[in-house]
Amino acid sequence: MAAILSAEAVTVRFGGITALKDVSFEVKQGEFLSLIGPNGAGKTTLLKTITGIVKPANASIKINDREITKLPTHSRIRLGLALTHQIVSPFKSMTVLQNVMFAAGYKKVRNIGLSILNFSRSSEKKDAMAFLEMVDIAQYKNFPVSTMPLGILKRLEVARALAIKPKILLLDEPLAGLNSQEASRLADTIKLISQNGMTTVMIEHNLSEVLRISDRLYVLDNGKYLASGNPKEVMKQPEVRTAYLGS
Amino acid sequence: MLFIELFIQGLIQGSTYAIIAVGLTLIYGLLRVLHVAHAGLFTLAAYLGVTVTNQFGSLSLGIVVATLTSGIVGVVIYRLVYEPILNKPPYVALIASIGLYIAMEELFRLIFGPFGLSFSSAPLQNVVVIFGIHLRACQIITVITNVVLLGILAWIAQKTRVGIGWRATVDDPEMSASFGIDPIRVRYLVFFVGSALAAVAGVLVALLTNLVEPTMGAVPSYKSLAIIVLGGLGNVFGTLIASLALGVIEAFGTIYIGDFLDRDAIAFAFLVVVLMIKPTGLFKSR
Repeated sequence: MAAILSAEAVTVRFGGITALKDVSFEVKQGEFLSLIGPNGAGKTTLLKTITGIVKPANASIKINDREITKLPTHSRIRLGLALTHQIVSPFKSMTVLQNVMFAAGYKKVRNIGLSILNFSRSSEKKDAMAFLEMVDIAQYKNFPVSTMPLGILKRLEVARALAIKPKILLLDEPLAGLNSQEASRLADTIKLISQNGMTTVMIEHNLSEVLRISDRLYVLDNGKYLASGNPKEVMKQPEVRTAYLGS
Repeated sequence: MLFIELFIQGLIQGSTYAIIAVGLTLIYGLLRVLHVAHAGLFTLAAYLGVTVTNQFGSLSLGIVVATLTSGIVGVVIYRLVYEPILNKPPYVALIASIGLYIAMEELFRLIFGPFGLSFSSAPLQNVVVIFGIHLRACQIITVITNVVLLGILAWIAQKTRVGIGWRATVDDPEMSASFGIDPIRVRYLVFFVGSALAAVAGVLVALLTNLVEPTMGAVPSYKSLAIIVLGGLGNVFGTLIASLALGVIEAFGTIYIGDFLDRDAIAFAFLVVVLMIKPTGLFKSR
């Protein structure tokens, strides 16, 4: 099957520090790929380079063979990328539902005149409710986000990303900060979304959940490629164990 | 009756401060830039309003030309002056803005002369009596225009997709880009709207005073900067309240302590006292 997303020869430097060096990977349509590696391996930098938040020194990033390396973030999102952030940051002036509605209606903001005149938001509301139900937080729809605990905000982050109806879902540590029960439940939800056909790339440190739900692993260490393949087989490789687990 | 009359005079003045300061606080909220050259756009619009009205005999045309031109010049200022230096420390943009304002003042002096310009036949100067209070038609138009403009702005911000996208960009520019919003277009929009608001204020002040001078933006500019601090930097509602409060304090102060302090001194004394008591402003910054 053809790659829906590919990143070739990604090199990122922050001043004199090389955060990523000549990293290449691709994801196939419908695949669930997890990016793993110790802290500082460059995982988040790689996702932020794919979405255009971080500017690479060198890279070729493609969605469905279309070169997107020079496009700004919002243009890449419009081509089908969605990113959830490691540190959740919902729009503070909105409720849970409004946050998802904003994401669901983003395409209509492109034309300023039409977006001012067309202020019916019933379709966005319907879509937003469906995504809130999918991640199981519909009951909190009218709460201000500032009153919500981390577990709800992590699910809201996934709902917002899904609401822009992406082709590829990029998740940056969606389970971080959750207790084991919450993490397991959210991992089940993410797996279900993936099984429904969503191409998913996830950074996550919770190895037991990663091994449980991923199709494939891609391991980075110190900004460089280390290994990739079937999760269980990759984790048996001595260099991965040394780099990731320190043993 | 005097009390009510002073209160209304204060609201007229305060509402004018409000539409200047709201534009300034919108820009600060989005870019964290104190856009001092905003006052230059206020003056530019006043000159354009008077010139076009005198030339074509239509105040409406004067307002439209002044508003659109100032809005576009505001976007050009953002594109040419601020955008290249946004990643520099905030004082760089502040110094650039002050320099630009001084340059604009001198440009007005060169183009329109140093002695000011007036309407050849000042419109809306007839006196109207409402419940025994004597007001000029231009004062009534000023309040109505300012209230309507601020109402429309609030409606756009709260109810339309553009407003929601703009609020989201103010909340978190990087995050809103992650949801397909083009932050550059939002900045253009905010500069256009903010500059157009200052333009309307410029033409209205020209109508109220029937005098346009190169330096007319200076005092409203200083007051607006103090008002947006008083109202909580980036807080539109706080700015509105602070503007109206300042207008009312000025109106009462002119009558009751006018023998000791002039109008502008009263306004600045009030601002200094409030900021000494509460340096972070009366409302929360955004």
